[in-house]
Amino acid sequence: MSTIVEAIDLRKTYMLGKVPVEALRGVNLKVEAGDFISILGPSGSGKSTMLNLIGALDKPTSGVLRVGGVDIGRLNDNHLAEVRLKIGFVFQFFNLIPRLSAKANVELAMSIADMNSAARSKRAAGLLNAVGLKDRMYHKPAELSGGQQQRVAIARALANKPKFLLLDEPTGNVDSKTATEIMSLIHKLNREHGVSIIMVTHDQKLASEARRTVHMVDGEIESDLVN
Amino acid sequence: MKILDILRYAFSAIKLRKFRAFLNILGIAIGIAAIVSLLGITAGLQASITGELTQGLSANSLIVMPGGDSSGQDSPGFSIGLSGSGSGFNLYINQTSDIESLSPNITSAIAIIQRTGRIVSDDLNRSVTIYGVDYDAYAQVYPSFSAESGYIPVNPQNDDIVLGSRVVDPAQNGTQFIVPGDDVSLLWLNATVLPPVYENYTVQVSGVLGKVGGGFGLAPSDGAVYIPLSTAADFFDTDACDMIVVTLTNSDNATMTEVTNLIKTYYSGQVAVVSSDVLAAVLNSVLSYLQLFLVGIAAISLLVAGVGIMNIMMVSLIERTREIGILKALGMKSRTVLMIFLGESVILGFIGGVVGVVGGWVIANGVTWVLGSGLLGIGGNLSITPVLSPLVIFGALAFGVGISVIFALYPAWRASKLRPVDAIRHE
Repeated sequence: MSTIVEAIDLRKTYMLGKVPVEALRGVNLKVEAGDFISILGPSGSGKSTMLNLIGALDKPTSGVLRVGGVDIGRLNDNHLAEVRLKIGFVFQFFNLIPRLSAKANVELAMSIADMNSAARSKRAAGLLNAVGLKDRMYHKPAELSGGQQQRVAIARALANKPKFLLLDEPTGNVDSKTATEIMSLIHKLNREHGVSIIMVTHDQKLASEARRTVHMVDGEIESDLVN
Repeated sequence: MKILDILRYAFSAIKLRKFRAFLNILGIAIGIAAIVSLLGITAGLQASITGELTQGLSANSLIVMPGGDSSGQDSPGFSIGLSGSGSGFNLYINQTSDIESLSPNITSAIAIIQRTGRIVSDDLNRSVTIYGVDYDAYAQVYPSFSAESGYIPVNPQNDDIVLGSRVVDPAQNGTQFIVPGDDVSLLWLNATVLPPVYENYTVQVSGVLGKVGGGFGLAPSDGAVYIPLSTAADFFDTDACDMIVVTLTNSDNATMTEVTNLIKTYYSGQVAVVSSDVLAAVLNSVLSYLQLFLVGIAAISLLVAGVGIMNIMMVSLIERTREIGILKALGMKSRTVLMIFLGESVILGFIGGVVGVVGGWVIANGVTWVLGSGLLGIGGNLSITPVLSPLVIFGALAFGVGISVIFALYPAWRASKLRPVDAIRHE
């Protein structure tokens, strides 16, 4: 099995006004392909910072963070964008483009990756079909329920065949029944399609659904347990 | 991201805020329309003057007008279209025979009286330029002085009058308000007496000229009324004339210079003597400066539109911060974000440019139509066709797009530099 994410003594310090805030204080973590891990912690624990760094949205202050084998601390903006192309983000607030239909949202991700129009249309339809939105492809996000929007977001995250899915409180904004459906879709992707999953959450119960839970407190990993 | 996909995405963003886009386009379109219409009208004016001079006035004629100075040809200081320049110096009708006898190189000298007046019939009341000319001599100098309907009377037995084509058909659409044989009244405002009074006389129309354009008083024009010279002298109560056109045996430089000097000497240097070439050159250079000035003002209005675009883009940037964060999280490069914003400005600038070019063309035609129709009490004797060259069309389009892009550069750059980690959490 190959390693998709590897952190070695990872540190991140923010300046909050003039006060330095140590969000990460030497994190060591290794995630293998095919794994399903959750990063659990209360607010201020550094889990959001972990998410930003693993998602190549931000760069570490020191230490090494390899995402898909490359140290993102050494990359410029352009190369970071290329790394993000191979990461499937799923956000708490869906973050779909409101003016685009479900299908166009999924296609957008592929057009950013320079895929041609015919191929992306076909793949977008296939992905939306797979997440159970065959009949809702041409609806705009505002015309979809929260659960449906999150399915579109998952389809979009899968569009460019990512190395892993990076989920940020994926059920934080839907009701519990929908949350169960979303989680079972994620389990299915992991189990049946071998998609690696990294999920960041503050929800103990949700975190326990993963195969492995990394518990963060005060910018450090407190425990790293297989469920 | 492919260019076509970038433009498509940019267009979807524009469509979302239609009214805002409309205002942007309007700003650009107004500026472009102003530039295009001004260029079209002034270029039409130039073409019209050049055409009148080259068609109407043969190369072997000289025009003598009052108000000259010793430098003569280089700065004629002419007062075309104005009568009674107020200098106190006048040309007189009876001086033509003196001028004819100045040199064997002179074949003829004809006097022309020119006044602004009105023509009134049952169906028509409009401003015109009235010319008092000797029909026979005038027709010899200007071949375009020939009747399309009716006839040109023989002097001096018959004092019927001749009208330009636009006088009888102001809209130039074939509806003729006057035909040969009709009686019309001519009026002019006599301001030499107090209080000023309208002098008028009623006369029969004998002929209507074919369409010749013009309107600058240098050759037959569509907006003119021609009456016999002797009638004009009586009607306007004057023995002075506004210009004398001298025809020479040939057009070589030596002859032209010789005759010019003879005429100047005869008038003690108080006249301007110009050839059609010189006149055209001077008028064109004056118009060129005018054109530059007007278009400069119009260009400033485009800058204002550009500032408007920048303003709206800055607002849009804040509204779309989160969208930019999403795009970057999906792997979009900063350069592509920049191109999307610039793409929006290119689309807006291009649409504004096209609308502006079409609008400017319509305005130019409208303005020249009004100038030619004599409505609003202005013009009425000018016959101008706006000229729009491909250079102007593409130049205006490029200018519209260019302004739009230049003012979008800064907002687009700001958008591209947003940090994805901040942008995506922007509320």
